[in-house]
Amino acid sequence: MKIIPARLLIGIVLGLVTGLVYGWIISPVEYINTAPDSLRSDYRTDYVLMVAQAYAVETDLVSVQKRLAALGPEPPSDAVVEAIQYAVEHNFSQTDIEALRQLALGLRSLPPPAAIGGP
Amino acid sequence: MSRSDWVSALIGVILGVALGLYYAWGVSPVEYTDTSPASLRSDFRSDYLALIAVAFDGTGDLERARARLALFPDVLPADTLAALAQQRLAQGRPGPEVSALARLASALSGNPAGTPGKTQTLASTRLATSTSTPTRFPTSTRRPQLTRIPTATPGSPFKLESEETVCDARLAEPLIQVRVLDASGNEVSGVEILVVWDTGQDQFFTGLKPELGEGYGDFTMTPGTTYTVQLAQADIPVTGIQSEECTDERGETFAGSWLLVFVQPEDRP
Repeated sequence: MKIIPARLLIGIVLGLVTGLVYGWIISPVEYINTAPDSLRSDYRTDYVLMVAQAYAVETDLVSVQKRLAALGPEPPSDAVVEAIQYAVEHNFSQTDIEALRQLALGLRSLPPPAAIGGP
Repeated sequence: MSRSDWVSALIGVILGVALGLYYAWGVSPVEYTDTSPASLRSDFRSDYLALIAVAFDGTGDLERARARLALFPDVLPADTLAALAQQRLAQGRPGPEVSALARLASALSGNPAGTPGKTQTLASTRLATSTSTPTRFPTSTRRPQLTRIPTATPGSPFKLESEETVCDARLAEPLIQVRVLDASGNEVSGVEILVVWDTGQDQFFTGLKPELGEGYGDFTMTPGTTYTVQLAQADIPVTGIQSEECTDERGETFAGSWLLVFVQPEDRP
């Protein structure tokens, strides 16, 4: 009775080690088919900056909302505010920061979304 | 070891793998974070590339567009963007987005990929390979000199400079070939051209075949059909365009093409 749990334990450890070696070394996770909401913060900021640069040309807030919706369920203005903070912290040019600021102002001019449900 | 020892060890291995998978899939499944644009799903990737083009349209910053495109190591920028423009045109996507893609494709083809700028090198060697250390995307703090691609000046409608039949047996199909030039004689990409015939209409843009010129665009004709061609930024349409019969050196006939050249006149004060 004492030997069986020991063998079992060794087997479990071997199984775990095998799984980890396979998962981390032999066949590690490859990121494919991801969505923009998983982008690293610098790429995410650049994405928002591109939206701001496009907005400067198109002045189309509907397109802006669609593009920023790809970054997740949070309000679009949150993504822009985060981008501005990142841009300021990382010494982006004034031109870039101004483009982001104009985008934030544009989004602020939109009426607040209607509440879902309620009386 | 006895047989029962082996059985115990085997059960242990199975339990271990099961526990590992339960942990990996149930308790703590993989969450995609800190990914790069190269891993985006194809539809998001197309949107991202289009966004690069529209942003380029606004800033004219070609080096920055190059750096952004370098994040996609498997992309041949000019070809991919031209193909994407045609794909989006077929999908009925907004004209400005398509023309922005065409303009960026033209701009890239005018600057061979074999001579990348400083920013592109930075992006391709550092940004595209970095996975753990956040690296700030190159910004315009050290922005190189802007390279402006000729675009149509609003308010100056193009005029038809010439129209001629083209008897070129090398063309597999009869084409309406259009070349658009600005007042300085530079080819203009991203110009929308409307083609109308009895039973339908279509549109195409200059710059989608940058190897033939930034201001070049073409449309395949059906022999026997009469077309009207108009630039989106021109006043007067060109009517009565029809494939005419040509004869090659061996005396065989084939359907001929048309070449229309539009020029934007200089603004008068």
